[in-house]
Amino acid sequence: MSGAALVIAPTRRAGPGLGFMLGVAILGLTLLVAVFGPSLVAADPLMQQITLRNTPPDALHWLGRDHLGRDVLARLVAGTRISLAAAFGATLLALGVGAGLGLIAEALGRWPALLVFGVFDMVRAMPSILLALTLMVALGIGMGPLVLALGIAFAPHMAVVARAAWRREAASGYVAAARVMGASPVATLFRHVVPNIAGALVTQAAIIMPRAITTESVLSFFGLGVAPETPSWGRMIAGATRFAEAAPHAVAAPVVALCVVTLGFALVGDRLRLALDPLREQRR
Amino acid sequence: MTHAMTPSRRGLLGGGGALAALGLLAHVPGVGAAQAADAAPRAGKLKVAFLGLDTADPHRHTGSIAVQQVYVETLTSIADDGTVKPFLATGWEISPDGKRYSFTIREGVRFHNGRLLTAGDIRANAMRVRDQVRGGWLSAPMKLVESLEAPDDRTFVMTMKEPYGPLLNLLSELWIVAPESDGWAQTVRTPIGTGPFRFGRWQPNVTFEAPAFADYWQPGLPHVEAVEFSLRDIDDLSLPLRAGDLHIARVGYDKLESVRADENLEVQFMKDTTWWFWSFNNRNPRSPFNDVRVRQAVAYMLDKPAFMRFVAGQAGVVTNQMAAPGQFFWDKAMHDADRHARPNHDRARALLQEAGVDPAKTPCRIVSWQNSYSEIAVEAMRNLGFQVEHLALDDIGAQRRLGQYDWDLAPFASGPRADIFLRFIRLMSDGPNVGLWGGTRDPEFDRLVHQAIAVVDLNERRRLYLAAWQRVLDNYYTVVIGHAPEPIVNRREVTGYAPGFTWGQHRVDGGLAFAKLTARS
Repeated sequence: MSGAALVIAPTRRAGPGLGFMLGVAILGLTLLVAVFGPSLVAADPLMQQITLRNTPPDALHWLGRDHLGRDVLARLVAGTRISLAAAFGATLLALGVGAGLGLIAEALGRWPALLVFGVFDMVRAMPSILLALTLMVALGIGMGPLVLALGIAFAPHMAVVARAAWRREAASGYVAAARVMGASPVATLFRHVVPNIAGALVTQAAIIMPRAITTESVLSFFGLGVAPETPSWGRMIAGATRFAEAAPHAVAAPVVALCVVTLGFALVGDRLRLALDPLREQRR
Repeated sequence: MTHAMTPSRRGLLGGGGALAALGLLAHVPGVGAAQAADAAPRAGKLKVAFLGLDTADPHRHTGSIAVQQVYVETLTSIADDGTVKPFLATGWEISPDGKRYSFTIREGVRFHNGRLLTAGDIRANAMRVRDQVRGGWLSAPMKLVESLEAPDDRTFVMTMKEPYGPLLNLLSELWIVAPESDGWAQTVRTPIGTGPFRFGRWQPNVTFEAPAFADYWQPGLPHVEAVEFSLRDIDDLSLPLRAGDLHIARVGYDKLESVRADENLEVQFMKDTTWWFWSFNNRNPRSPFNDVRVRQAVAYMLDKPAFMRFVAGQAGVVTNQMAAPGQFFWDKAMHDADRHARPNHDRARALLQEAGVDPAKTPCRIVSWQNSYSEIAVEAMRNLGFQVEHLALDDIGAQRRLGQYDWDLAPFASGPRADIFLRFIRLMSDGPNVGLWGGTRDPEFDRLVHQAIAVVDLNERRRLYLAAWQRVLDNYYTVVIGHAPEPIVNRREVTGYAPGFTWGQHRVDGGLAFAKLTARS
């Protein structure tokens, strides 16, 4: 079968709402910081001045210095890029592995679906953070293993959403029509179904992103994320926690950043879920 | 040579000077004090946290001695100044050739099952360690044992194939267990010792409870009904101390300020020191780190004073040796000649240029534990321009990775030891757990240390140790940064307790058996 894909338009809702706008503003600002921040902050996030350790904020170092005398603002900005990159990479991997494998298995029939989702269900039985911890222990520390561990940990969540969306679409007339016209299951999947479930997958990605950021922080806090000197938010929290009494500013900065960005993703994700779910109106 | 209840000259010259200089010497109750102790009933359960307990078998332990030393005892004991004191032995005689050690075994010592200790028990323990245990501190001297004899109940004779200077100190870690203990033939599961506390309820990695031994040979001891060790891996023990959940615990230097501000807590220090160092990969060095000029350049990047202030605050001292300043085996002239007492970045870069090294194109793999001070090494190498890969691992992971010898630099620390030889042995070709020190293989270093431990004269032994250490300095096998004593904190309601020379929490004249709880927390 050839020709344009059949796409069901997502439900249109009234205005975006204050929460969504706030979320977009937070994420937009975060993205700007991640992209341009390191070139705007003069201080080197790795440069140590041990004699000035744990000094409070001043005119030159707006967020003070940490336990090794490093500029907290410079590390926070550099950490934004690292934490976002890790979370984005992990989400993409989860999308590719989870949704990709899940949808192909569903399209190929009962037995491939049973096999793939059997594995996914086993993986999903373990909490994501525990699974990521286990994988990091096996893979070792570093950005690559971190993205891989997070991606694998969140892949099953993406897979079950993709399966639900697939099953919903598979019952639709346009899928039956495509099959009658001689399209293979995989061709039908990619040409017709994927465009119609993209909204659900994007929404799930928006839900997974903040979870990946917080999981990265937890892994780094436990010493299993990136290398200790790498300024990810989790590493910053881990390093500064021991000195929280002497230098509360060093631990507060990444914690606040983590909370705000997670809130931003939550606000945007929630709105996307409402806006991009084509069946929501039907359920209503 | 006869020793009976008298400290050796080495001990007098040993750690005392440095520690007195640091003002760290604390009150130490003596045996006499114990014998004169009041007959007050035992009261309270002492809750403490030091390091873990990895096995119930005292002969097979690979970790801390802090816990097991309360239920098993040894022939000798390390006093607060590093001297060797009689413990289960009341004295000893050493033959003029330094090979035959004849120990007189203390009378009236009972095992926890009520049986009296005899020289035959000592012999059985020494034979078990010699014949069944592989690895550990005692494996080297036990290979040199020619015969173990117990001619009567009160005499134990140990004859060596060659003189072995550190033997008396090392025997402070040959724990005596009753041969009828469960698992003696393989792995002891329930050790029957002679210590002031019995082997009680053990939940690995959680808790170990040791009730007092009513028939302990030192009258009046212990003062408390039981000791409970917390074995949990808690990062900051100052919190349970402040909350009153623990009475005594080790605390990091970074917490000392807040601990000192709490009037319920008292800070004491261990008598021997922990020392910090950077080791190069000596077993399989990669270019350019096999060039001594490059190692020298790295050493010039070290800011020793700042490093020691970072890890130990005011308690830290800078030096270039394994012995702490003031100790007998420390040398002032060598210390004063330290070219790296202050950093010199320009000299470091010049040396790299002289060696034809472009650090921007040179990878440098650093292996460390997960701690902040390793980040100082990373930053120093990054400042020098190297492409740094930092592998920060847990204890087992680091040991494993170090053993692969595919790294370039390893910043580590090592704790107190019963004898300076236990530090030198780490740089010997066949030493135990040599990874942290880069797996040095230097036959000349080995020869000098072997000679040192074989001589009876202490000054000659010191000269040989220093000659061996000079090789370490010249070849930059390991660069020592400095020393600091470990802080131990106790709540004020604990009296009579002072930390000792090593992590062991029971010795002939101090430790947990001497601690009293004056008020319930």
